[in-house]
Amino acid sequence: MWFYDRTTSAIIDVNDAALAHYGMEREAFLRTPAGELGAADASPRADGGVFQAVSQPCDLGGRALVLVTLHDVTALREAESALARAEDEQRRQTTEFEERVRERTVQLHSAIGELEAFSYSVSHDLRAPLRSIAGFSQALIEDAGPSLSADARDDIARIVAAAGRMDHLINDLLTLSMVTRAEMTRESVDVSELANRIVAELADVSPTRPVVTTVASGMVARGDPRLVRVALENLLTNSWKFTSRRERACIEVGQIDSDSASPTFFVRDNGVGFDPVFADKLFGPFQRLHDASDFPGTGIGLATVRRIVLRHGGRVWAESRPGQGACFYFTLQ
Amino acid sequence: MYQILLVEDNADDVELTLRAFRKSDFVSTVTVARDGVEALDFLLANGGPADRNGDGLPDLVLLDIKLPRVDGLQVLERLRANPRTKLVPIVVLTSSIEPKDLLTCYALGANSYVRKPIDFQQFSKALQQIGSYWLETNQAPPPPG
Repeated sequence: MWFYDRTTSAIIDVNDAALAHYGMEREAFLRTPAGELGAADASPRADGGVFQAVSQPCDLGGRALVLVTLHDVTALREAESALARAEDEQRRQTTEFEERVRERTVQLHSAIGELEAFSYSVSHDLRAPLRSIAGFSQALIEDAGPSLSADARDDIARIVAAAGRMDHLINDLLTLSMVTRAEMTRESVDVSELANRIVAELADVSPTRPVVTTVASGMVARGDPRLVRVALENLLTNSWKFTSRRERACIEVGQIDSDSASPTFFVRDNGVGFDPVFADKLFGPFQRLHDASDFPGTGIGLATVRRIVLRHGGRVWAESRPGQGACFYFTLQ
Repeated sequence: MYQILLVEDNADDVELTLRAFRKSDFVSTVTVARDGVEALDFLLANGGPADRNGDGLPDLVLLDIKLPRVDGLQVLERLRANPRTKLVPIVVLTSSIEPKDLLTCYALGANSYVRKPIDFQQFSKALQQIGSYWLETNQAPPPPG
């Protein structure tokens, strides 16, 4: 520390620590005007130490003085610059992260765009030649039917049927792509009402089949109404199909843990069932566990169900024994 | 005799459509435009062949969406923007069931939107229904002017 006369700037006294700090002899120090010493306080010394000079006016026997004390702030400055460096680094990382999110978003949008273009051309371009195949095969029967042999007519009927199956396949793929791309809402969905309506529609299509259906009342889920409908439709259509050999077909829609915030819904039937060994294969696209001539289908329905359930953050699984029916469970949380 | 303008680029679809109309129980003359430019030339510039109402317009336009040069959506937009053709019954007949296409067509003023079935019997039935509804059941707008 040292002090000087406020009026004349003449240094009056200095201690050894201050002399050591400035690296000056006492005599030289006392001859230096106080103003010239100020600049030295903030810059680091050769040994890396940083000092801060604090000036305080004081009064000594009526004489106005300024007392200058030197404080070692090396540690403080180091901490401050470490903090600044950390903040810089964090800013850099945040910027980099935001940049990466922007890039990924652009990539994602372009992927979705490609998917849309793809499903558009699937729906348009693939169906056009299919219509020609089916249409002209049927035209051929009309034009040349009487002169064709029974075998030839049967061949043509196979062409028409195959075109029809491919049409189903394309439509199912389009539905799968739709449930992947569709914007989702979360609303309260009356699962009981929905299930009853789908069951009534299925009964309309095959009115001669006696199917005993039981739908628990008061089932409610939070989800996208359109997507939940597609999922339930697929599950119920499957049950309807795989019970077709039963004399007394039974289909039940219900829920377990109904008190919980995310109830588990199930669709159970007494149809042909499946070997539990294949339970995890069921939900992959194009997976079929039954012969197409026994139970026609495209193998896309359960993949669609799983996609819908996953988009809701839920889970889907199935239990069965061959010949003893199947039970499909799902949550929508 | 009813006048129908079929705007369709796919030669097979043209053939199947004509075939279906030949079997239908209403009598019609079908003019074919192979792309959007031909369709617009026919409807906006050219009065077309002898027509029933004397307004130079067909009784019904069957419009595909995906067309070379000028696509069906643009054709629809141009026809609806023109006072002469803004009320002509237009049925969109397409392969697409993209929700986007449906929305756009209705927003642009299509009267109906039909997806072409793959099965020829169903396709014929659909065309028969379209024809009998739009040509016979429906009351057409009075001729422009």
